[in-house]
Amino acid sequence: MLKTLSLTLKLMVMLALAFVFILPIAWMALGSFRPHEEIFKFANVLEWRTLFPVEWTLQNYADLFFDTAEPFSRFIGNTLAVAATVTIFALFFNSLAAFAFAKMNFRFKRILFVFFISALVIPGEVTLVPTYLLMRNFGWINTYAALIVPSVISVFAVFLLVQFFSEIPRALLEAARIDGASWLRVYQSIVLPAAAPALVTLAIITFLGQWDSYLWPLVVISDQSKQMLQVAIASFTNMEMTEWGRILAADTVSSIPILLLFAFLQKYYVQGITMSGVKG
Amino acid sequence: MLPPARIPEGGNVMNGVNAKKPSSRLSYLRSEERYAYAFIFPALASLLVFVFYPMLQALIVSFKDFNLISPDSEFVGLSNYIELLKDRDFLDSLLHSFHFAVVVIPVQTAIALGLALLIKRKTWYAPLFRTVYFLPVVIAIGVASTVFRLLYNNDFGLLNTILNAVGLPKIAFLSDPQAAIYGVMLLGIWKSVGFFMIIFLAGLNNISPDIYEAAQMDGASPWDSFWRITLPLLNRTTAFVVIITTIDAIKISGPIFILTGGGPAGSTTTATFFIVEKAFEEMQMGYSTAAAFILFVIVLAISLVQMKFFKTDVEH
Repeated sequence: MLKTLSLTLKLMVMLALAFVFILPIAWMALGSFRPHEEIFKFANVLEWRTLFPVEWTLQNYADLFFDTAEPFSRFIGNTLAVAATVTIFALFFNSLAAFAFAKMNFRFKRILFVFFISALVIPGEVTLVPTYLLMRNFGWINTYAALIVPSVISVFAVFLLVQFFSEIPRALLEAARIDGASWLRVYQSIVLPAAAPALVTLAIITFLGQWDSYLWPLVVISDQSKQMLQVAIASFTNMEMTEWGRILAADTVSSIPILLLFAFLQKYYVQGITMSGVKG
Repeated sequence: MLPPARIPEGGNVMNGVNAKKPSSRLSYLRSEERYAYAFIFPALASLLVFVFYPMLQALIVSFKDFNLISPDSEFVGLSNYIELLKDRDFLDSLLHSFHFAVVVIPVQTAIALGLALLIKRKTWYAPLFRTVYFLPVVIAIGVASTVFRLLYNNDFGLLNTILNAVGLPKIAFLSDPQAAIYGVMLLGIWKSVGFFMIIFLAGLNNISPDIYEAAQMDGASPWDSFWRITLPLLNRTTAFVVIITTIDAIKISGPIFILTGGGPAGSTTTATFFIVEKAFEEMQMGYSTAAAFILFVIVLAISLVQMKFFKTDVEH
């Protein structure tokens, strides 16, 4: 009896919390389908119409995508291109380095690894200005090179992959080497497939990080037509009072790819977080 | 802030191969070494150019009167640092960062642990709730900040509609200098708590159920079990969560740019916001970088103290 009561209570708390967590997202998505006046009309008294559209419309999305000056699809395209490029390069170069550290023998290995890890302590706030100046010297300001090249290598990613790679049995590599496979071949045909889950995890973390990035593009990209998604969305707050529907539509549309990715690959993402926090 | 990695000795792959011909074995190892260096070269080069070189450069720039407008910059010794320690705006920004951190660290950590405890038991609905609590983590910062900006709106925002409906006074999160920082906290916690919930969940799953069973047989209440078993055994996880939360909270900037712009009346100008503003609005890059160093030293010192604290705790 007491047990059922406490279980019911617990479930009610869980549901109430779930409601709080989901409310801003639901309000965003539902609001994006409302005509302009409706959003403000039912805002004074709390009722079902405060949250749910009475008259559904796609006008906000049409405004967003058929804006001739700044079609929203451009920002999505820019961000997809940059995020995908960074992710592909990151998978390749970080895993190569991690493979060498985890499975190969070479002089100064330990020192080099400590050197790698020590980069984790250096905060982006301190290097922000000098990195910006470096981009200026390279002539990369306002180009995607400034967004892509410095973002590829991640000490965290190398660290994560070393942990995964070290679990691959050595006998497997040994056998391939005896059969005459080159190191690149061993990496490609044995290590990569065996570490597929880790690579998926890393791909998600990298892609989400790029999709989320705000400060760096704000600093290095000045041309609005080349701008990244989060900066573009943030610039919408300048037209706040009149364009709520459009802002919410932009927010919703730019969350869809991420939520889809998350829906299918949640397991890997959660695994990555767990690895970073607990193992080692 | 990551635990030390295991570097396995991977070199024995070739044991037994060509063992009879030492010279060829040596060349074999040489080739392995060449490959290994080639594999780490891109990563190493990138770190040198984009992390270590800028760090060195930052140290130099912070001793200069450096701005982008006039090309020549001269060394000014420690004067950037001395000026900063007298700069009311900078000290206020540090204060705002600390205020933010001091509230967010305990509140967010407690909620994260609470959520993890709620969904720990393996039921059919636990994964569902886990997904819901985790959802804000994947919502991008620009999206979350713009949505909260509208939610907080004084006249038409959902928050004030709800407060009104339950008979509470309005909160002007965007225009009241007293309240604004709490608006940022609410957004920050909503967005990050699910991440730390996952870490706590992993920590909880590492504790053997046998311990709880034994305690229960000895007549311990769930309350006792929590304080005597769960918390002490979770110490490592809690340490990780608290240290990471501290670093993130003191350096908070993303939501500030979009939600409040540092206002109203500078009440949400945190240290990182100050640093970016100084560098890219006022173009005082030397001054800004010196401020970043001061922040870095403070964060590092706090992290070290925290690590020590959690370590001594474990030994008891």
